[in-house]
Amino acid sequence: MKSWYQGVAAAALLSGLGTAAAAEGYTIGISNTVQGNGWREEMVCAMKAEALASGLVDSLNIAHRNTDAAGQLEDIRNLIQAGVDAIVVNPANADGINAAIKEATDAGIVVVAVDQAVTEPSAYILSNNQEEYAYVGAKWLFETMGGTGAVVYMRGAAGAGADNDRDVGFKRALAEYPNITVAQEVFTGWQQDQGKQQILDILASGIPIQGVWTSGIDNVIVDAFVESEAPLVPIVGADNAGFVGQLASVEGLVGAAVTNPGSVGGAGVALALQILQGQMPQAQTVLVTPALWANNSDEGKALIAAGQNPNLDPEWPVSVSIPGWTTYTMDQIIACKGPGE
Amino acid sequence: MMRLVQRNGWVAGLLVLLIILLIATKIIQPDFGASGVESLGRASVPFAFATAAMAIVVIAGGIDLSIAAMMAVCSVTAARLMVGAGDGETVLIVILVLALGALMGAINGAMVVLTRVPDIVVTLAMLFVWEGTALLILNTPSGAATQWLRDLILGSLSIPGLPERATFIPKSLVFVVICLIPFWFIMHRTKLGLSIYAVGGDPVAAFRSGVPIGRTRIIAYSLAGVLAGLGGLSLTMSTGIGEPIPGPYLLASVSAVVLGGVALSGGKGGIIGPIVAVFILRLVRMDLTLMSVDPNVTTIVEGTIMVVVVMLGGMLAMKGRRP
Amino acid sequence: MVHTQTDLPILDAQGIAKRFGAVTALNDASLTVAKGQVVALMGANGAGKSTLVKILTGALRPDGGHLKINGTDRSFSSPGAAREAGLVPVYQEPSLIRDLDVAQNLRLGDTPVEPFLHWVAALGITDLDLHEMAGDLPLATLRILDLARALASSPDVLLLDEMTAALPSDLVEKVLNVVREQADAGRSVIYISHRFTEIAQLCDRATVLRDGATVGDLPIEPGVEERVVELMLGAKLTPARIATHRAHATATGPARLGVRNLAAGSRLTDVSFELHGGEVLGVVALEGQGQDELFDVLGGFRRARGGTVTVDGAPVTFRHPADAIAAGHSLVPGNRADALLMSRSVRENIAIPRLARICNWGSISMRSEAETVTAAIERLQIDTRAQGEVRRLSGGNQQKVTIARWVASGVGTLLLFDPSRGIDVRTKRQIYQLVREMAEQGAAILFYTSELAEIPQACDRVAVIFNGKLVEIMDAADADEPRLMRAAYGLTSKVPA
Repeated sequence: MKSWYQGVAAAALLSGLGTAAAAEGYTIGISNTVQGNGWREEMVCAMKAEALASGLVDSLNIAHRNTDAAGQLEDIRNLIQAGVDAIVVNPANADGINAAIKEATDAGIVVVAVDQAVTEPSAYILSNNQEEYAYVGAKWLFETMGGTGAVVYMRGAAGAGADNDRDVGFKRALAEYPNITVAQEVFTGWQQDQGKQQILDILASGIPIQGVWTSGIDNVIVDAFVESEAPLVPIVGADNAGFVGQLASVEGLVGAAVTNPGSVGGAGVALALQILQGQMPQAQTVLVTPALWANNSDEGKALIAAGQNPNLDPEWPVSVSIPGWTTYTMDQIIACKGPGE
Repeated sequence: MMRLVQRNGWVAGLLVLLIILLIATKIIQPDFGASGVESLGRASVPFAFATAAMAIVVIAGGIDLSIAAMMAVCSVTAARLMVGAGDGETVLIVILVLALGALMGAINGAMVVLTRVPDIVVTLAMLFVWEGTALLILNTPSGAATQWLRDLILGSLSIPGLPERATFIPKSLVFVVICLIPFWFIMHRTKLGLSIYAVGGDPVAAFRSGVPIGRTRIIAYSLAGVLAGLGGLSLTMSTGIGEPIPGPYLLASVSAVVLGGVALSGGKGGIIGPIVAVFILRLVRMDLTLMSVDPNVTTIVEGTIMVVVVMLGGMLAMKGRRP
Repeated sequence: MVHTQTDLPILDAQGIAKRFGAVTALNDASLTVAKGQVVALMGANGAGKSTLVKILTGALRPDGGHLKINGTDRSFSSPGAAREAGLVPVYQEPSLIRDLDVAQNLRLGDTPVEPFLHWVAALGITDLDLHEMAGDLPLATLRILDLARALASSPDVLLLDEMTAALPSDLVEKVLNVVREQADAGRSVIYISHRFTEIAQLCDRATVLRDGATVGDLPIEPGVEERVVELMLGAKLTPARIATHRAHATATGPARLGVRNLAAGSRLTDVSFELHGGEVLGVVALEGQGQDELFDVLGGFRRARGGTVTVDGAPVTFRHPADAIAAGHSLVPGNRADALLMSRSVRENIAIPRLARICNWGSISMRSEAETVTAAIERLQIDTRAQGEVRRLSGGNQQKVTIARWVASGVGTLLLFDPSRGIDVRTKRQIYQLVREMAEQGAAILFYTSELAEIPQACDRVAVIFNGKLVEIMDAADADEPRLMRAAYGLTSKVPA
């Protein structure tokens, strides 16, 4: 009987040692509230690839589903229960998940919000600048249109935080060009099929339009113009692979892609790992500034040519890495495998 | 006593399943304890109200596809009004929001009764109406929630002499139970409740028994509206803001209602079963996160569990009926 | 018969009219009931009885005419209002909510429990548990509970619609006694039934409806039946008895259907008989003696516990209704709703067995199907005004559809379970005639009926089941009602040969 106890004690000790030895390997929790969207899928793949490439992460714990802020509160609390070291979260909105973030940071967990900001001060933020995203694209569009004409304004999902930030940027640019009018304002809900149907309806109605600004649903818009044989107008979209390909190949298309890298997720994981290892960033908030790739300038053409990658899903942004942050290779993010997978 | 077990066999079975899942959770995550139960309780609150609302409408022989959208309307209304509101004003706001829920439910019910268009069509249309209404009230997630209201579902119940975490009873659970008691009472101890069951089970027989069919259905929808109001309030209470885009509460409430033993054809089931089902579905979600199951597989697992449980339950019920 | 004479009728409906769109259901219906009177309301299917009942009980509002209760003009906006005025109905279908228990049903209708229990006992139900779900109770008990519930509210006028249709004979007797007592105590009763024997026993007067109008109001006296039938049908009637050449079991060789020591469920213990092609074998039994199980086994709905079934001499086991249909068995169930697709058309309902047989995934030959179906509709004289949806047909026409589908597709063995329940005289006769015709074409027919008077009209022989056992088989010609009744109650020592 006694030897049995000793055996158990030894086993417990061994397993304890095992745990201690693996202490270097972190567990990272991920929370995301939109599933089945190309941009978000790339974000998650970038998180997995960065975790793998860093060599510091044992396992990822991913809560990835379609839900609201209340659902994300639940997911973050479940991740706290799972005992993760850090949580990288794409927040459903800026205020709604503060309570759970506070609980996590109180429990000593590092929280990094990517893509969109949160107002909880204990969280680190690494985000694309969404207001600037809309501003630079709209400004280029209005300039290309010669400062006059009607645009179709195709927004994202009504009520979403990023959509509201982009709306602020778009309106700022609009205010600078008094002769630009909005012919139609629609919400694509960031759905490809919905956006395509909307632009087809607008084209069929025969309203004169001189430009299209679309919030990331872009390649189907070009498809709609081509299919309905409507004269092409300048179109601004995001750096999604399909659209960037069209910018290089579609005859007569004048357009620009504004970068909105989904790889910001990988950067978030990198930031979380840096903090876990004691390297604090200079500021609580790090903003990634968008770049504009227009196919009516040589500089832009070069960027577009460099961004061509037939291996990517057409809905994925082509800027698959963020220099200075992400360390994974192109193959790693396309493989979309995390540690232990 | 036998009859009590017999009649509540489904609920008893669900409770057993819940206990098994709790034990499984403890095995998966040995640290699972008071804080885990507390977070489970808090996550379940909006689902519990959405499910109770759906259960009442389904028992009355209808279905309300606009429940999540009504919750969003109530949530944004509460969040908008509570910006800078004092403690006393908050009480008024709560009453107003619940009245708003009742009004929306009554509109749903009246449209169903007066137009004679099927429930599923009317409430599908109203889903869009309420969604738009919510966006008109708040077009971005914002607003505020009064602190004492938020504290109602925060933490565990404190018993004097014991540390708060040692009591294991989350305040959120107590909040749900207290809010649902009046509805349970209405459904099971009043003539109105009997009428709701009667209208859902056999409208012709109910009509002949002197039950006012239209009025009963409108009241059932209004009760669901009040519960959607509570659900919306609980969203604002947990997030501290109002979100105009409805969360995933519609399908979740239908799932919990079915898993909870309410017949979609109406007239059968109760409120307790679906509420237990809510906890089961939340706990499954938690376990899948704890085990870091591939997120794309989790929904398959959730769906499979539902089909299997409902199927097994149906088979057991069939067996029980044959002597 | 007690006639209570009063000057003022308690219920007086005059010139009631009701239209549904283009269809006139009632144009001039009148009904007068005095205190303490039992009035039979009679009429063929579609004469407007159901509509008049719905108007009297507040379920429908009339378009014309007036209704006086105790001399004052009334119009009921709901069943509740009619009930408050003292007019309480017992409908043809059970009115208890299946998903509530009995006690909850009582609370729902504000029925006082004490008097209810008194009436339940008086009507012969001794083992009622108030916490039993209504849906778990047998049909006969539900009907009794409906009546007890109506009586418990002390109505001035009791309206009974086919009250005895689903009851076994012993309960019928109790119901008739109680109703008669109530009338003698001063309550009035409107009694709707197709059973002349009961009407003769119970009623004081008969009011006859035809095509939405009241065509006669006559006192019940010996020989009134023929007069009532004449009024109902609007013409002199051919003699009631159907002239048939009874191709009496002369067939040689193995019987079409052989049943040996069959046992099934908890109630059917030992039944044996042989049924030949061209023969109609009647089955008589009180409620719950095992006849349901017998038909279930033969229709493939239930497995036997013991004994054998042979078809053309070969033993068979049915695992599924499809097996039974493949063996040539066609079941017409007691509940029409079980057999029909209520929201589909008459034609589709008739064609279904043909579709199942002819075209395994193949295309449907629309023309040949249409011809056969049309022939069946004409032959059964199905009223096809509402043929788009079977739900909208009257009960009698629905029953014709359930039989017509087997006429159209042809049958080897027809199993009829109480096909004439709640159906008017004319339709009944059409059904008997059809049964005889099918037998003459070689079908073997097993015919259970709860109305003993039907036996000699349609059957060649009759088998009596009591307590799960077959107690007697006799020639239909010898089967008068007293003899069948005695056998059905088990008052016989004769064992089938």
